[in-house]
Amino acid sequence: MNCHEFERILDAYVDDELDPADAAAAADHIEGCAACRRRLASRESLGRLVRSVPYHAAPARLRTAIASAPRRSRITPTALAAAAVVLLAATLGGAAGFRARQTSQATAAVAENVVNQHVSALMRDRLFDVRSSNEHTVKPWYQGKLDFSPPVADLTSADFPLIGGRLDSVAGRPAAALVYQRREHVINVFVLPTAGRAAIVDERSIRGFQERHWTQKDLSLWAVSDLNDRELHDFVRAFESATH
Amino acid sequence: MPRLNFEDVVVPHLDAAFNYARWLTKNDADAEDVVQDATIRALRFFSSLRNDDARAWLLTIVRNTWYGRLAQQGHLQPVGVYDEMTDNRRDEGLGPEALVLQQQTVEQVQRAVESLPVDFREVIALREIEGLSYKEIAAIVGVPIGTVMSRLSRARERLLRLLGPVVSTGESA
Repeated sequence: MNCHEFERILDAYVDDELDPADAAAAADHIEGCAACRRRLASRESLGRLVRSVPYHAAPARLRTAIASAPRRSRITPTALAAAAVVLLAATLGGAAGFRARQTSQATAAVAENVVNQHVSALMRDRLFDVRSSNEHTVKPWYQGKLDFSPPVADLTSADFPLIGGRLDSVAGRPAAALVYQRREHVINVFVLPTAGRAAIVDERSIRGFQERHWTQKDLSLWAVSDLNDRELHDFVRAFESATH
Repeated sequence: MPRLNFEDVVVPHLDAAFNYARWLTKNDADAEDVVQDATIRALRFFSSLRNDDARAWLLTIVRNTWYGRLAQQGHLQPVGVYDEMTDNRRDEGLGPEALVLQQQTVEQVQRAVESLPVDFREVIALREIEGLSYKEIAAIVGVPIGTVMSRLSRARERLLRLLGPVVSTGESA
């Protein structure tokens, strides 16, 4: 790759929108080219500057005006019951008896529930029971409140600072909710025990939120955010490697 | 599939809607009007929402609402028909004297972004501030992904020209 070619894909490179081969070629080029390194650095510092402009959040007045929309619960009792059944089955170690279709329906219901818990924590402005960016404050806070110990790591070095945690629930079972941030976006990580042997992995997009589910040891983790898919993927990688 | 509920689906993206509208309109009052109109439309067309991306859907409605209002008020400039490669339109509302950068950095940056033509301004807002992917932006703005990239590139070049001194002093870190 030469300088001209690099300039053409510079923005896609900064925005992490290149496919891996092109990204590698670009990285190769800047390693040996001081001029393109400067171009890249000025793009990056411009990005930081633009993101430093205060976010225009919707004023309370507008929110109130719009909140008169009809209210109805999203999660149907049937879906919640299905989710509870599968979680129970997993706990008893009997998950193998369930058909894949039921499992996937229930996974979908839990994913829905997780997104709802995320939204409701944000809307009620009840994100934190413990507000701290220190993992040594957040992790011990859960002692005596849950029958498991959630993995906690501050990910500031990966640009996902830990900002706190709270007690929450997933499909009616107690869960730890860890709260991380990237720019104005909040990431909730719900942690609860799972006894199923199979490493259930799930990712989906629900109403504009991204959801990713994975397991670590005998814990089941669900990350939810309105971050874009790629950044949430980076988050999960950073979380896993910091807590394994 | 559980039935979709407007409050759970759309209301959580109100901040994104307002932020986008604010960058389009450049003032709070107009942004509020646009978002309020947009949510009324969103409510009316709610059944057309597929389950996958409520935020992009709402932002598209915000954008259409704003362009609709411009057209009504007779301010509509031909948009999206200019040649991307020979674009030499002037930046909006920033005279040469304003280029003397003497205010606080954040304010400079805000004004520089606001001074961009609207289709540059919106890709900057959607990408840098809202953190959307090219694909999502392409869907909202209604242009190919390649156009999103070239607009972002041009917008950033302009910002670097406007903010050159600020960017390079911020570089020492």
